[in-house]
Amino acid sequence: MTDSSRIPDTPLFDRAGSIRGYKLNKMAMALGDPANRDAFRENEEAFLDRFGLSAEEKAAVMSRDWHEMVRLGGNLFFILKISAVDPVPITQIGAAQAGMDHAEFLAQRLGKV
Amino acid sequence: MATIIGGLGTSHVPSIGVALDRGLRDTPDWKPFFDGYEVGKEWMREAKPDVAVVIFNDHGNSFFLDRVPTFAVGVAETYKPVDEGWGPRAIAPFEGAVDLSWHLVDKLVERHFDPLVCREIDVDHGLQVPMELFFGRPEAWPVKVVPIWVNTIQYPIPTPQRCWDMGRVLRETIESFPGDERVVILGTGGLSHQLQGARAGFINREADMAWLDGIANDPEHYRNMTREDYVEQFGSEGAELIMWLVMRGAMDPKVKLIHKHYHAPASMTGAGMVVLENEG
Repeated sequence: MTDSSRIPDTPLFDRAGSIRGYKLNKMAMALGDPANRDAFRENEEAFLDRFGLSAEEKAAVMSRDWHEMVRLGGNLFFILKISAVDPVPITQIGAAQAGMDHAEFLAQRLGKV
Repeated sequence: MATIIGGLGTSHVPSIGVALDRGLRDTPDWKPFFDGYEVGKEWMREAKPDVAVVIFNDHGNSFFLDRVPTFAVGVAETYKPVDEGWGPRAIAPFEGAVDLSWHLVDKLVERHFDPLVCREIDVDHGLQVPMELFFGRPEAWPVKVVPIWVNTIQYPIPTPQRCWDMGRVLRETIESFPGDERVVILGTGGLSHQLQGARAGFINREADMAWLDGIANDPEHYRNMTREDYVEQFGSEGAELIMWLVMRGAMDPKVKLIHKHYHAPASMTGAGMVVLENEG
């Protein structure tokens, strides 16, 4: 299953993504531990530095740019832990992926009125 | 020998657990979803199983990308709910059906599957939510569990055919187990949803409805589909549906579709369930 671009607008988390996003996902995975959540809240940038994130990755996390985090190899299941520390509804993250505003996303994609 | 008394398919969306935690069961958003599961819970009460085999995927909670088992089997005595970032949930730990788990490991390896064998591991919403949907929130779960993890996160994920074949071995495992346990098999995940990429929010109600009937009456169709077909029809995360094939592969070629239910969207997902019994 190497051709991950066959289905339009549907990135698959393949070898390239996994390698590219490894540090970012590792940082996010660590937020499963309450002590790490405290450290993240206390000094986010220092926490990101502990995992060796690049300037680009740090900027994406610190601005909660969900689209950019995925582009950099972040997998949603890991980066969702950021939204547990700093609550954001998953539909808003979905809207960011789709490049739509939240209300438009709920109506057009999920059929909610 | 132990007996397979039913095969169930269900979504395992994390927001279902959150809705229960926050007492949102009867809100307009959630009531139609939960109401549809009542027949499944009723079926379960009457079926009185001893063991639930739960096939699910971890969502970056118990496994990181440092080690990605294509298939893993739990042989632990207890499985605690894992902290997924929001803190631990107030649900009972799950007791393992240790002997049946080890018997499954023996049979799998004998039949040329090579699972990771997990002696100490927590479980995420992939197992928790299906148990809550069919058993409610008891102080202690009325069944022991055999967890089977399938990698659906990092490609390559296993093929639909491979999941089916694992179901065949699961059946052989249960039928050759020296005990009189009544076993239910829960295939979990799906239905259609996509959380990543510009197609995020993709839900395919038509394909989902066809799936609920087809998994009962035309499983060959779904066994023969490619992983790409699953992604295309059900969304990138909807490809989780391959895990229902492990359940279906363990059942008779002909089954009775006792109950089905569909509701969309549950959070960002087409959600549903089936209850199947062997024609026997």
